[in-house]
Amino acid sequence: MKKVLGIALGVLSAIGGFVDIGDLVANSATGARFDLNLAWVVPFGVIGIIIYAEMSGRVAALCQRPVFDLVRERLGPRFGAGNLVASFFINLLTLTAEIAGVAIAVSLLTSVNYVLLIPFAAVLVWVVCWRLPFNIMEQVFGLMGMALLVFVVAVWKIGPDWGDLASKATHPTVPNGETPFTYAYYAIALFGAAMTPYEVFFFSSGAVEDRWSAADLGENKANVFIGFPLGGVLSLAIMVCASLVLAPRAIDVAQLSQVPLPVASAVGRVGLAFAILGIFAATFGAALETSLSSGYVVAQYLGWPWGKYHPPTRASRFHVVVLASIVVAVLIGLTGVDPVKVTEYSIVLSAAALPLTYFPILVIANDRRYVQDHTNGRFLNAVATLYLIVLVLVAVATIPLMIITKGGA
Amino acid sequence: MNTNARVLHATLDLLDRQLRDRHGVLCGNVDDLEVEHAEDGRLYVTHIVTGAGALAYRLRRRRLGRWLNRFSNRMADAEADRSMIPLVLASQIGPAIDLAVDAADLPTHDGERWARVHVVEHIPLRGRRARD
Repeated sequence: MKKVLGIALGVLSAIGGFVDIGDLVANSATGARFDLNLAWVVPFGVIGIIIYAEMSGRVAALCQRPVFDLVRERLGPRFGAGNLVASFFINLLTLTAEIAGVAIAVSLLTSVNYVLLIPFAAVLVWVVCWRLPFNIMEQVFGLMGMALLVFVVAVWKIGPDWGDLASKATHPTVPNGETPFTYAYYAIALFGAAMTPYEVFFFSSGAVEDRWSAADLGENKANVFIGFPLGGVLSLAIMVCASLVLAPRAIDVAQLSQVPLPVASAVGRVGLAFAILGIFAATFGAALETSLSSGYVVAQYLGWPWGKYHPPTRASRFHVVVLASIVVAVLIGLTGVDPVKVTEYSIVLSAAALPLTYFPILVIANDRRYVQDHTNGRFLNAVATLYLIVLVLVAVATIPLMIITKGGA
Repeated sequence: MNTNARVLHATLDLLDRQLRDRHGVLCGNVDDLEVEHAEDGRLYVTHIVTGAGALAYRLRRRRLGRWLNRFSNRMADAEADRSMIPLVLASQIGPAIDLAVDAADLPTHDGERWARVHVVEHIPLRGRRARD
């Protein structure tokens, strides 16, 4: 039973973390705009997050230290502080987007303007962080997120020519009307959506709090090798849906409410209900993870008591940071800023910031003082180093591409 | 001089490590170290320095660091500099450093107390009221 519960951690990370507002928007938007010419980025990102999360889970299990604690120790307080500011800011953008996503999902059912629902969504998120039994919520949202499987059902219902899909996905080109710059920009967006750093902050902090040890390494592998590919399949289904339904009609995804449209047309009202439920669960789960992550990164850098199992009186500063982040996210959301744009910026900047946390974890996963005999194997190191090179190239290219393409316009 | 000294790579094995009090409560990091020249010519780490002031000092915000440290000592009515913890109080040095002190006595706990008294305890549903 304990094993089953442990896998729930991975499933939540997969559904609420892998598929969050970033994946919903990025996969839908690229499917509608680039057909399947960017589909290759999804498996590439899934492998990246598997490597990154497996290493950080293993490090957390073996030395009981979460990512940001180690970031400061290995990079020093100065570089660590810069890293903290960048990670916290990007995480705050993501939190804003997720809370807006929860509000939009509810507004699709109630036809109340989503901006009015943002404070209510935020209060719900905060109450879970503050006092509700976290493990139960984790499983509830993990299971509810499975409703997104309706996107897979929609693809199957539409009944596309599978050979044609496969050949499109494996022969990517830059479509007419797009430049190599926009193509690269959206590739980075998809990559950042798949490999978001907060997932790893949350995952490794959870592993420390659940007191993982060497005995749990199998569970760590199961979580990342089952959970993340499952998230990847859902992401691809969302992209394929958009490419089959939205692309032929030249519909650009400018709003989150357009994401479930293909499901509505292929599966009908019940399908739409499932899609909305799934979007609600995925964004809500991710809102929980990002709000806790904002507390994790600050508390771990400064050595404060932290954790979702501590009552607020035992980790007061941690909970104050979480609360303050939620309040700031609500204020940003209430300005009426476009949630899709916030999402796009958050995933693109996430991708740019990845080397900052990926590199120290890669070093530590090879250091016997931290992981004893469980250092990276040769093959893993080869692949992980290849990803490090890609991450650095992405980080260098992101800001110039953002300027050249005017944010992907 | 304490003859039980161990040979450690101070910047690798001590600096920026997590501190834990005698009950296992997380209570800050090793923000800086106080070292002393001994007669044998070696350097000995005598104190772990911790707290926002020490961190700011190390981040080359020296004036801010000194001010924060004075402020924290004055707030606590402390005679001695509370940010300095004698290394002999470190009962175990590993991935985290266990100290034979109570977190509540360290300057790193001031913010925690402030957050609890001024924010957390004013919000309902907070769970069990902690001691002190």
